[in-house]
Amino acid sequence: MKRTLQDYKSVIEPVWCPGCGDFGVLASLQKALLTLDIPPENIVTVSGIGCSGRLSHFVNTYSLHGTHGRAVPTALGAKTANPDLTVFAVGGDGDGLGIGGGHIAHTARKNVDMTYLLIDNRIYGLTKGQSSPTSPYGQKTKTSPYGVFEDALSAIPIFLAYDVSFIARANGLDSKTLTQILIEAISHKGMSIVYIFSPCRTFPVLDSKGLKAMLQPLPDDHPREDKLKAMEMAYCEQPMYTGIFYQVNKPTLEDRLQSVIKKSWDMGNKGEEFSLQQILHSFA
Amino acid sequence: MNNMKDSSDIDFAIRIAGEGGDGVLSAGELFAQAAARTVYHVFTYITYPAEIKGGFSMIQIRIRSGTIHSMGSSVDYLIVFNQEAYDRTIGDLKEGGMLIYDPDEVKIKDDLKTKFYPIPLAKIVMDTVGAKLGKNVVALGALGQLFGIEFGVLEKLIKDRYGDKGSDIIENNLKALKAGYEAGRANKWEQKYNLVADTQAKVHYMLISGNEAVALGALVAGCRFVAGYPITPATPIFETLTNLMPKVGGRAIQLEDEIASLSACIGAAFAGEKAITPTSGPGLQLMGEQLNLASMLEVPLVIVDVQRGGPSTGLPTKTEQSDLKFAIYGTAGEAPRIILAPTSVEDAFYQTIRAFNLAERFQMPVIILTDQSIGYRKATVRMPDLTKIIEVDSSVHSDDISIPSPEKIEIAYRIEANPKELNGYKRYLDTVDGVSPITRPGLEGGQYLSGGLEHDETGKASYLPHIHSQMMKKRFKKLEALGKALEKNPPEYEGPEEAKIGVIGWGSTEGAIHEARLLAEERGILFRHLQPKVLSPLPERQIRNFLSGLKQVIMVEENYTGQFAHFIKAKFGIRPIEIHKCEGVPFTPEEIFNGIEKVERIINEENIARL
Repeated sequence: MKRTLQDYKSVIEPVWCPGCGDFGVLASLQKALLTLDIPPENIVTVSGIGCSGRLSHFVNTYSLHGTHGRAVPTALGAKTANPDLTVFAVGGDGDGLGIGGGHIAHTARKNVDMTYLLIDNRIYGLTKGQSSPTSPYGQKTKTSPYGVFEDALSAIPIFLAYDVSFIARANGLDSKTLTQILIEAISHKGMSIVYIFSPCRTFPVLDSKGLKAMLQPLPDDHPREDKLKAMEMAYCEQPMYTGIFYQVNKPTLEDRLQSVIKKSWDMGNKGEEFSLQQILHSFA
Repeated sequence: MNNMKDSSDIDFAIRIAGEGGDGVLSAGELFAQAAARTVYHVFTYITYPAEIKGGFSMIQIRIRSGTIHSMGSSVDYLIVFNQEAYDRTIGDLKEGGMLIYDPDEVKIKDDLKTKFYPIPLAKIVMDTVGAKLGKNVVALGALGQLFGIEFGVLEKLIKDRYGDKGSDIIENNLKALKAGYEAGRANKWEQKYNLVADTQAKVHYMLISGNEAVALGALVAGCRFVAGYPITPATPIFETLTNLMPKVGGRAIQLEDEIASLSACIGAAFAGEKAITPTSGPGLQLMGEQLNLASMLEVPLVIVDVQRGGPSTGLPTKTEQSDLKFAIYGTAGEAPRIILAPTSVEDAFYQTIRAFNLAERFQMPVIILTDQSIGYRKATVRMPDLTKIIEVDSSVHSDDISIPSPEKIEIAYRIEANPKELNGYKRYLDTVDGVSPITRPGLEGGQYLSGGLEHDETGKASYLPHIHSQMMKKRFKKLEALGKALEKNPPEYEGPEEAKIGVIGWGSTEGAIHEARLLAEERGILFRHLQPKVLSPLPERQIRNFLSGLKQVIMVEENYTGQFAHFIKAKFGIRPIEIHKCEGVPFTPEEIFNGIEKVERIINEENIARL
């Protein structure tokens, strides 16, 4: 039987505020999954804390709504334990660039075959309007009543420095393009990050009009494997580019672990798996 | 070792002490290995500095013709490499014992009541191989000669250990070994013991540390996923598993911190794997939020905390039993978990298997509390017969799964939902014992939401008062069910029924308390000794049975505040006398005996029941 969008929707209705950008992200993800025809039971969705963290409730997958900032290493564990699964990590700008920022570098180094949806609204929306790592300088929020006095974090250059093997930025309100990018990200063998702008209606820092004026697609001939060019485009703020900045092929964590397993069998046991009794006898 | 009829009764301890970097520990370990290949049992105890080089370092090896429970209270043979080692350890040498020392490094007291033999370790190694390194191998040679270990046995051990370091290294080591052996012979010392190799020893026994025992137990339990972050003194578990896991087709990964490590274990367990993370107190503390989450999601996983001296960075290389309260209660809110405390190296192997069985069957995190003294101690452990492993399916009730032992090892798995009955599947179905059948990713129709927010039986987030009340109860019911199951086990205490004193310890103090009990018995003081291996939940009826008829309870712990005593006092309303040691080193049997003797005198004088 042919799958429909309905197969990727859980029975739980989204609880986001009307007009929230996250609706668009959810719909694009479901469309991408349907296009790729991935069986829902083979999908694990791990999310962090924040409005975007609720996304795992609304997809009909094996969903794990974890703690603040830890979606990425949790997803890593699921993928490593069962490499046949399609694994997502989902979180916001606070989750992924604030409290959990440290995990991205090390997941990138392992090139875990998973897709990380980092959904940025430039504000802490769920806790009702405090400044986030990407809130612009001068922005008044509940915890920056005189304006944010730090500089906003620019994430794409960081991901490039970490050598994440697939890096894209998208406008969450442009569902068609986002869906296309997600299809490529999910199909990519290795760690893919899709960094998505998704305006918060209740504590607006971004809005639809502003996003349109701010963003522009990368040129069609942008060379994806050229890191320096990607870096140049990533640092450009006027316009701010969307699309796939960077994509390279390198061994995934599973490839690396398989080669470790092979080495261990070759070194001590002529290419065969060790029995437990053999292991115990090596301690005699 | 299985063949005991040729061996006379022996029991003695050797200590080698020097400076970190002297190779004291490797010489001691090689000697222990040689001793383990005889008919005798071996037990080692190590202290080492937190610094990479320098600092006091020692290894003690006890050799006995039966099971060894502790490092003993004193030393029969002492080898010291330098003055500090001499000053710090000479007081532990028995009257009539034997001292071996480097006369160029150590000035001994004139009035020593022991035999003493100078061997210029540094000079010998300089003369033989023209280097400073290798005193330890000279000492090993001399010791080997003293105890009648055949030269060939030592030669083979050296080759096995340094085999991959090049022929020059091997050759120099063998020269130093030979020189040490000759120096020993030249002493014409009295050779009291003959440690002749036994061909069967390797078949029937392993010589492993407590840390290695945990790693091996995990593999036997079917764990094929480890994620960790190096931390003293738990690192050897992680190192052993990173080496062994690929050999059995499993996955071992080092992550960026302890939070990520436990997160990865949660993800792996969610995906259906048996997962473990080894750590020590400071790491367990970082894992707090994820420990909470594991409890809330009801994922089975195992955390090992090899406790060290705290608080903060504390004493990274020393032992302490001070994470118990954090293990039982730590984390936000009230999140059930099971706490196990292995009592010996061998027990660490079996309790680790048990930890996985309990985690799987009760779907919650299990914390194994060992400590540096068990982790770094090596002991001869009976070779488990893996043909005796029985994998039990869901038809076997959790209450009927036996405690893993050398006689029987049962391996349990989580209770899975019937794939044919997934219509309306509720991941958090509220059952009689609180355990809900689980599905694993890949199973069609088994998809569910698992979340850290309070949720109803389907997994949907809910803040309704009656849901929170129901689900708290559901999660804790599992702990109660286990508590009841524990009552069926044989009582975990020994000692005569007529004893009026009861001693309660936990974890690694078992051996020292056991030997203190035998010491006390010799001197006419009787006590009963309880050492529960599951610390939470406790088999309450069993413990009440233990307490009944006692005039005084004594609690023995290696910490400052008496953490288990707090727990026992709150649960059973008793007023124990507490014996604490918080020095970074384990109790000796004699220290415990002295404490108990004092208590015995007091209660005899007072002649009042304090219970």
